Amino acid sequence: MSDTGFFNFAEAQAQARRRTAVLVGLFLLLTLAIAAVTGAIGGLLFGGAEGQMARMDQQREATAPAADSLLEQFDPAAAMAVGVGVMGIILITAAVRGLMLGGDGAKVAKSMHGTEVTRDTQNPAKRQLYNVVEEMAIAASLPVPRVFVIKHEQGINAFAAGNSPETAAIGITHGALSALNRRELKGVVAHEFAHIANGDMRLNLRLMTMIFGLVALSVAGRMAMRSVFLTGGGRRDQRVVMAAMAIGVVLLILGALGVLAGRMLQAAISRRREYLADATAVQFTREPEGLANALKKIGALQQAERLNNAHGEEVRHMLFAEAVAKRAPGLLATHPPLVERIRALEPGFNPKEDPIWRKPQKEMIRESRQELRHSS
Amino acid sequence: METIIVVLLVLLALVLPSVLLYNRLVRKRNAFKNAFAQIDVQLKRRHDLIPNLVETVQGYMKHERETLTAVIEARNTAEQVRQRTSGSAGDPGSMAQLGRAEGELGGVLGRLFALSEAYPDLKANENFKSLQEELTSTENRVAYARQAYNDAAMRYNNAVETVPSNIIAGAFNFTRAAMLEFEDRETLQEPPKVQFS
Repeated sequence: MSDTGFFNFAEAQAQARRRTAVLVGLFLLLTLAIAAVTGAIGGLLFGGAEGQMARMDQQREATAPAADSLLEQFDPAAAMAVGVGVMGIILITAAVRGLMLGGDGAKVAKSMHGTEVTRDTQNPAKRQLYNVVEEMAIAASLPVPRVFVIKHEQGINAFAAGNSPETAAIGITHGALSALNRRELKGVVAHEFAHIANGDMRLNLRLMTMIFGLVALSVAGRMAMRSVFLTGGGRRDQRVVMAAMAIGVVLLILGALGVLAGRMLQAAISRRREYLADATAVQFTREPEGLANALKKIGALQQAERLNNAHGEEVRHMLFAEAVAKRAPGLLATHPPLVERIRALEPGFNPKEDPIWRKPQKEMIRESRQELRHSS
Repeated sequence: METIIVVLLVLLALVLPSVLLYNRLVRKRNAFKNAFAQIDVQLKRRHDLIPNLVETVQGYMKHERETLTAVIEARNTAEQVRQRTSGSAGDPGSMAQLGRAEGELGGVLGRLFALSEAYPDLKANENFKSLQEELTSTENRVAYARQAYNDAAMRYNNAVETVPSNIIAGAFNFTRAAMLEFEDRETLQEPPKVQFS
């Protein structure tokens, strides 16, 4: 199938899809495990508290011997209730969050101060961008998305937003528009089309809402603890207070750990989807060079690629290259290292000797502006 | 009684798969016809742009009469062929004709843009630059649409030629669809190389 010979996009896509499936499975397991653990602890604590109270009522004994084994105290009904409650908290907040975030890509692009580019633009660079988007729509057999330019952003970056191909929008930074030539621009646009075609925004949205559910879990834990402090005190059912307190702490800790693990998984899935999108982009353009050269230019302009925008966190997954802190720990990075991505497209790539990677950025921008002026 | 039921069952077992296979062939045929319609749209756009281009270039390239005439002739031929073939997707004769005409046009256009390198004033002309961008984009669109058409035609051909759908295809006269190749391969085989500069 591949016209380019050495880069087999079909196989790369299949591999990326398999690995994503494993990671998504892990994510679901993580949520289930959290619900199960809190459920088990809840069962132990509430079971213990009830048993203790019953004994206290019967015997009025101050020194209750904790001789019962833990298993005897375990209350399956309470465990179920707590487990289901925890799942409910996660799923309901996730669903609400999903409804709030979902849908229209154009809204996301506008919230990042994007200006829309339309078919009848007079600006040559924007005209070229719109043409490239229309070409890729044909290559990908997808509807033409709305196109936005992020005006005040000098780094080379791009994103796709929106839940479905029909509501999708593509955003390109001003820096990308001025620094990339036609072929490189096409590679970048094809990469964003690949995210649309592969349903990556929807996948990421789901993961984000799941993480939000886990955040809600810690919040619920904190609330449980606070309510104990507010209402607690000289009540008779001290064991129940203690149990609620302990549940609060457990929720807090598990929620926080879950969020961390969830973010790592989200980042791992995202890194897989980036390789997949690179492979799919080559399927659309049938030439890996444009995308590879665009990535090299980003490497050369590394410090400019950080997007200084409050929304960076929410959309960073959709961005063409890592947008948040450059020193993000490897496990939380949403994009694979540039060098690795370029090597996947161009096996012989060597950053030390590559003319584009090593080109000083001022010279690069000057050249590309000239190119735009002369050839576009 | 029993024999009637058996005969009916056998008939059903024969007819049902045939209906499904027939429908699949029709769907595949519609798919490549639709893909061809997309090429047709883009080719029309290409042909519509060329008179404007010649108009703009004329004032600057006074010594290239011959090339300009060749471009116009190739464009007119290609447009005639396009109109004649726009309904006959997959027909081998039509596809070959169209491929030849468009290949020819691509060749002379390439020559025109190569010559334009020698005219700095022309290259600075805003109108020329924008036409150049539009043509580049149209070439790419034609190339991607052609890729989609050839893919769809190949899927259809596979269905026509493989067992068991080939039996239905033979019985109902589904014939192979021809691929669309442009003969001037240098200009159109590799879409991204077409930068005209």
